[in-house]
Amino acid sequence: MRKNAISTRVLAALSAGVLASTVITVGAISSANAATPKAGGTLYFLEHTPRLDHYDPSRIYTGRDLAFMNSFHTRTLVAYNPVPGAAGANLVADLATNTGVPSNEAKTWKFTLRPGSTFEDGVAITCDHVKYGASRVFATDVINDGPAYLQQWLDIPKDDKGNSIYTGPYKNTPAGVAAFNKAVTCVGRTITFNLNKSIADFNYLATYGVISPVQKKLDTGDKYDLNPQSSGPYKIVENSATQLRLVRNAKWNKSSDPIRTPYPDEVIIQFGLDEEVIDQIMFEDSVPGAVNFTGPLPTNRDKFFKDAKFANRRMNNSDPYARYLAFNLAKMPCKEIRQAMYYARNAKAILDYAGGPDYSGSYATGVISPLLATDFEPTKVVGPSDYKNTDDVVDPTTGFKPSGNVAKAQALMDSAKTKCPADYKKATETGIVIDSRPSASDNDTIPINVAAYARVGIKISYNLIKSGYYPTVMNPDKQSDLSNSGWGADWANASTVIPELFTTAGGFNLSQNSKDPAYKAFEDKVTLAMKTTDRKKQAALWKELDKEAMNNFWVLPTVFGKTLEVWGSAVQGTFFWVPQGHLGYGKLWVNQ
Amino acid sequence: MKNLLEIKDLKVTFPTDDGFVQAVDGVSISVAPGETVAIVGESGSGKTVTSLSVLGLHNRKLTQISGSIIVKDKDESLDIASAPLDKIRGYRGRVVSMIFQDPMSSLHPYYKIGSQLAEAYLVHHPGQKEAANNKALEMLSLVGISEPKVRAKEYPHQFSGGMRQRVMIAMALMNDPAVLIADEPTTALDVTVQAQILQLLKDLQQKLNMGILLITHDLGIVAQVADRVSVMYAGRIIEQGGVDDIFYNPHAPYTLGLLKSVPRIGSTGSERLKAIQGQPPSLINLPTGCAFAPRCEYISLAPADSCQTLKPDLLGLADSHRSRCHVPEEKRDKSFAAEIKGARV
Amino acid sequence: MPRFILRRAYFAILTILLVSIVVYGVFSILPFDPAALTCGQKCTPTIVEANRIKLGFDKPLWDQYWLFLSGIFIGRTYGSGSAEFTCPAPSFGYSFNKNTCVTDMLKDALPITINLAIGAFVIWMIVGVGLGLIAAKFRGRYPDALSSVFVLLGTSLPTFVTGLFFLIYVTIKWKIVPLSLKGYVSIFDEPVRYFQYFILPWLTLAILFAAFYTRFTRATVLETLGEDYIRTARAKGLSEKTVLLKHTMRAALAPITTSAGLDIAGLIGGAIITESIFNLAGLGRMTLQSVYEFDLSVVVATTILAAAVVISMNLIVDIAYGYLDPRVRIK
Repeated sequence: MRKNAISTRVLAALSAGVLASTVITVGAISSANAATPKAGGTLYFLEHTPRLDHYDPSRIYTGRDLAFMNSFHTRTLVAYNPVPGAAGANLVADLATNTGVPSNEAKTWKFTLRPGSTFEDGVAITCDHVKYGASRVFATDVINDGPAYLQQWLDIPKDDKGNSIYTGPYKNTPAGVAAFNKAVTCVGRTITFNLNKSIADFNYLATYGVISPVQKKLDTGDKYDLNPQSSGPYKIVENSATQLRLVRNAKWNKSSDPIRTPYPDEVIIQFGLDEEVIDQIMFEDSVPGAVNFTGPLPTNRDKFFKDAKFANRRMNNSDPYARYLAFNLAKMPCKEIRQAMYYARNAKAILDYAGGPDYSGSYATGVISPLLATDFEPTKVVGPSDYKNTDDVVDPTTGFKPSGNVAKAQALMDSAKTKCPADYKKATETGIVIDSRPSASDNDTIPINVAAYARVGIKISYNLIKSGYYPTVMNPDKQSDLSNSGWGADWANASTVIPELFTTAGGFNLSQNSKDPAYKAFEDKVTLAMKTTDRKKQAALWKELDKEAMNNFWVLPTVFGKTLEVWGSAVQGTFFWVPQGHLGYGKLWVNQ
Repeated sequence: MKNLLEIKDLKVTFPTDDGFVQAVDGVSISVAPGETVAIVGESGSGKTVTSLSVLGLHNRKLTQISGSIIVKDKDESLDIASAPLDKIRGYRGRVVSMIFQDPMSSLHPYYKIGSQLAEAYLVHHPGQKEAANNKALEMLSLVGISEPKVRAKEYPHQFSGGMRQRVMIAMALMNDPAVLIADEPTTALDVTVQAQILQLLKDLQQKLNMGILLITHDLGIVAQVADRVSVMYAGRIIEQGGVDDIFYNPHAPYTLGLLKSVPRIGSTGSERLKAIQGQPPSLINLPTGCAFAPRCEYISLAPADSCQTLKPDLLGLADSHRSRCHVPEEKRDKSFAAEIKGARV
Repeated sequence: MPRFILRRAYFAILTILLVSIVVYGVFSILPFDPAALTCGQKCTPTIVEANRIKLGFDKPLWDQYWLFLSGIFIGRTYGSGSAEFTCPAPSFGYSFNKNTCVTDMLKDALPITINLAIGAFVIWMIVGVGLGLIAAKFRGRYPDALSSVFVLLGTSLPTFVTGLFFLIYVTIKWKIVPLSLKGYVSIFDEPVRYFQYFILPWLTLAILFAAFYTRFTRATVLETLGEDYIRTARAKGLSEKTVLLKHTMRAALAPITTSAGLDIAGLIGGAIITESIFNLAGLGRMTLQSVYEFDLSVVVATTILAAAVVISMNLIVDIAYGYLDPRVRIK
């Protein structure tokens, strides 16, 4: 999963079991789009963290950062269509001439580079540059933090520890180099990728920078992260503790780039600003050409979203993340108890605490987020039947009630008493332990949860893990009965959600579901979906799998989150870019 | 006016938390050229307040003074009690100087003594740096400090107690003042050094013909250096006269008591010191009548009730020797003389 | 005197060395695994191990410390193969979060912190000592009362309150001082922008310290005014102005200088809150961000640097005190 760009504070509040809300893509298209775009001016992004995690295309993994770098600086073979609405999730050709040609049951993929694209130093981009760029992620000791799919999927043998025998361009063995050269080949302007299994949506991986061109002679390894070479309309001139400054790249030509429209003369991210200060700047419109890169503080949300003054300067949409509590099936094998916990939970109280449906999200209907428009459908197993519904009523199909369906939960507990007495005893006497990260709202939210489960006799306690959360819960020896988590698709295809979360090969399976009787059939279906190149057919399979996972109650889904954006009065051309879950940065222009 | 300093009917009052204190109640003293006048008394008798008032160093906001303090500067003179502060400053250190009890704390610890001396000169002769430095060296020699050039570059903490007092004296004399006020100048020094300092003062007085107003509680010093003496008690002078008068023919019972209480060489250890019974009065609640009456042994010799009700005036058969006491002078002479004789045995 | 200085300098260096060992030791007995902190959800044990080797956490503690210490004199090499690079001497380590040698980070951050410290220092000394003098001179009257109000406000208001107030009201709402988005400029390059950048952070810090120095100066001056040598100065006929400004201030100088020296040393360690609020890319903010990101090389370097500054300043102040107060000089 791409890492959260949402600030830790927000994520912590939400992942403590924040509840659902109405997901209404309000303002998917900003009404300020009427005017003709003007070139010029400086576009500011106000950020409170000290810098973006990474700029090196092989190492970027955060959706927002990816959207930013892709809009202005780093071109990829294919990209998402920078238009509003569901159409935005479709791939369009960027450096390549088309969106990739699969063959051999999607085990082989070919991309042909279009002529005329250059780096910022004028060097023409060739197939070898792309091949070299793809090789860098294999040097896991230097180039880390990016998506690891190439290592998993390219047809290169692995050693007995499970690591690829190819170790990257800096330090390697002849055998490894040979294997890589076989897996990735260049003929003229066409690059071919040979995979070790069928990946029907491999071309979606190409929206990441892991497959983007890099010049070998300019590759400074770890330091490349400071100033990677640009292939896009802007280049980096300053990357300091104060700001990232992009100015026009004179070597970029419009004719080789059908996607981008670089209107501003300069693009600057200001780092380290205090969050309250950023909100004040937005209130006072002190910097009319600025975008709040992270979203307003919870205490200021009403000011922005309820005041008509900001009507054209705000946006409230679903974010790409589905939040849930993973059941550790090894410790909670009794399905009735898992169901009882789902129905007993007071989702409404937690969501209201976090700010209510307007700002905090809607009740999750599965693990596939509504933003994955093609693959999304309410499972009608959990949550409301209409995912936008946040009324506190019992849903006739799923039995879900936001404040908790205590009757149903109690009935389940009663049957669990006889069906799985040992687990029943554990839930009611010893208590269930939930892994979570500590947050400022714990004092308030933990009692809400304790009281909710107590309504059916379930005792819970929390294991608050201060640091190294994910490494801890991913260790089966250290994981508790439930673990707080969230997940967003790596790209606009549920192939990066369902397999990740629910198969052993996936890599983020906190449910430990491999011994569940339903698992084998599930896994087979996943394998089939991964091979299905017909997008519609594949989407139908993902929807079924989402439903099945919910039927098995392998996780306790909680909310689909929301993302809030505000910007200054001079920023125009705003729209919500569905695949990235943020503004379409590349289309913004500054009205001077 | 022949006198260099004439204090006439000085009264000093200041407020305290418990009420107004009449620290000095009608004191008149004069100092002639070449003359050493001593003011003797216990702590709280008003002697230090008197001496500070001469330089106008009292707390000008809180303290009220009346009377006159006239200082003679060659042909001019100034009444310090009523003069404005800037005029007084012109006289300080130039016409009338003062040295204090503790020379270590009275010298600025952070400045070299040479520059402190020179400063005293420069205040009244601005701009004459070379003259000031030369005078400083000259004065250091005069007070008996060897290697003045070296020592002028040193700091006060590098001097011994006696040397520091010499330095203070040198500083006080930088501008050849007419009057030198010495407030307990030897109290902080040990006895041998004490003698040297007193001798130095006497030598300088002879050389410069200046007047010295010496404040002290030590009768021994008074006997050594004073020409005339004023004995103070509870803010008033209760006896005033020449040094011989005071010591050989005291007229006030208090003075007699002081003399009797001085331990004598040769007396045996078993003899008790003859202290004056009782305590000095509170200056806020002075008794009506004679301030010393509660402690006086000779009340019976005075006319009935006069000591308790009437404040005695400063009178004497001879103008040069006066005292405050209701007991007629002739009676005192007889009884006191016997006591003095007896005490001397 | 030179021997005194030499001996104290020797002990100062020894203390700094000891501090560096302690700091390094503390960071190595942290209850969590620093390599595990380097990646988030998508961490496999292989990646954690790779990061551990990359950051040098796999080596034994003394090796790590020795590499760090020797790096200060001969530089240090990181990475392997064609991705190898060196941080030249003096190397305080390498920040993997920021992909920069710590020394370069310090080079960028230090001028800002120093400018902040010195500017605030000048303002608070002038205001603090001046106000303290006035308060002492007019003791009991209205200048003294006004200065106590100032002292009360200055010591009670925390820097984050004054800082945020200045930033949000004076800069953003009232637009009196323009918003500095472009960052630090040297006073020689663009003096106007330089002052716009620093004036509010200076005032934020200065208010706090000036209040303290007003009170401190007032107390010291009043205490000195009661000394005998002040009476002597008056007895010499000196004007009140000379008595106050020359004799009294000279005596008050020693304690004030000692205090000022130590205060500015602490500031160079980084005025963390002020720098964070005004977004000054100085040492304090660098340290704070590195703590949040578990960027250990930076935190270790800045801690040791701050300790070194304080220890050196102590030494300087001790030496200065000898010049200011002749009584403590060693012959």
